[in-house]
Amino acid sequence: MIWWVLYDIENDRARSRVARYCKQAGLYRVQYSVFAGKMERDAVDSLHLQIEAEINPERDKVYFFPLAAKTVGQAILLGQAFDRKLVSGVAKTLLL
Amino acid sequence: MQLYLNTYGTYLHVKDQLFEVRIPGEQKGAYVKKHFAAPKISSIVMTTAGSLSTDAIALALQHHIDLLFADRSGFPIGRVWHSKLGSTTLIRKRQLEASLDQRAVHFVTEWVGRKLEEQAALIKRLEKHRKQQRDSLLDTHERILKLRQSIAVMADQPTIDGIAESIRGIEGTAGRLYFKAISAALPTAHQFTGRSNRPATDAFNAFLNYGYGILYARVEKALLLAGLDPFVGFLHRDDYNQKSMVFDFIEPYRPAVDWTVFRLFSGKLVRQDHTRTVTNGVSLDKPGKELLIERLNQYLEVDRVRYRGRQQSRMNAMQQDAHRFANQLIDKV
Repeated sequence: MIWWVLYDIENDRARSRVARYCKQAGLYRVQYSVFAGKMERDAVDSLHLQIEAEINPERDKVYFFPLAAKTVGQAILLGQAFDRKLVSGVAKTLLL
Repeated sequence: MQLYLNTYGTYLHVKDQLFEVRIPGEQKGAYVKKHFAAPKISSIVMTTAGSLSTDAIALALQHHIDLLFADRSGFPIGRVWHSKLGSTTLIRKRQLEASLDQRAVHFVTEWVGRKLEEQAALIKRLEKHRKQQRDSLLDTHERILKLRQSIAVMADQPTIDGIAESIRGIEGTAGRLYFKAISAALPTAHQFTGRSNRPATDAFNAFLNYGYGILYARVEKALLLAGLDPFVGFLHRDDYNQKSMVFDFIEPYRPAVDWTVFRLFSGKLVRQDHTRTVTNGVSLDKPGKELLIERLNQYLEVDRVRYRGRQQSRMNAMQQDAHRFANQLIDKV
């Protein structure tokens, strides 16, 4: 399952911490406040709890969308869009 | 995911518990930073000059990520791996004992035999699309299978000492026939005369050597994970520091590299800038390495084949073989 995490967080410190948690969970940064990647259920739970502890529930918005890999595979990607294989965890080598 | 650090001057360190790779950009002082979560990485390969922080080494060790150092020809020089020896010492003891008795013969004849079968199968594959060369290819196919038979009849010999020379001889003969047939099936510009190493004397051999280098590293890791000792071989000589078991166990998998490299050339994907001339020979350049790494990875790690009732990657199948070998040594089949 490919999870998409999208957020709108007012506080700068909280927002950068949330970005760090998403990176540490192995998610790919699709856009400034949008992360996506393959995650197991327990990783989703940990991340969700970590983020919940950072946000202001009165003002901030966070979305966790699960999408089947097949559906993500149907996505239309234009321009400098991310590498499909990288995000769905299929890519086995990365050459830097 | 395997990370290959191919750019000169890359710096790998840790930031916020993530691996941070700092890659020099086009202009001096400019660089690109990429982050990776440790649980998503299986190994990191450094193929060119760069630097590593001790924190990165520690993070890798904690997550059982192997840090591999390869020389310019892709030959693994060494690795940083956690010091827990993994699995049981019993397997290594049995491996040592087996190297001295009939079991060495049993396993070596199996591995070399399978290599020859794979070689013959590759030649058969070539024959399908090359009507003009049909006769010579089928002839080579037949001869390699005959040589495979002469290995099979040695399977019940008591020790490896008596038959080592013969096996090496048969392997050599099969290899010469095999590579001769492969060369003849290539575009004229890339045909070669036999195997060459350190350095390769042509592009095909340069690609082959680099590909084998990648395979050595994979086999070594597979052996380590299965609790086997890469240094205690059965057929290959116990020379000082020679990873002889890697050279023994790898045999049936070599044709996978041969086939991948062959298709690069037959598919006209190899360009001038993929290789460069060095003293007495040819070496792979960055674009060539990248092409080979991508293709080999696709063939070994991504493509699924049916093996022992399961759909799995070829390298997964190899890992299974390593575990099965270890289990056979401790009679746990």
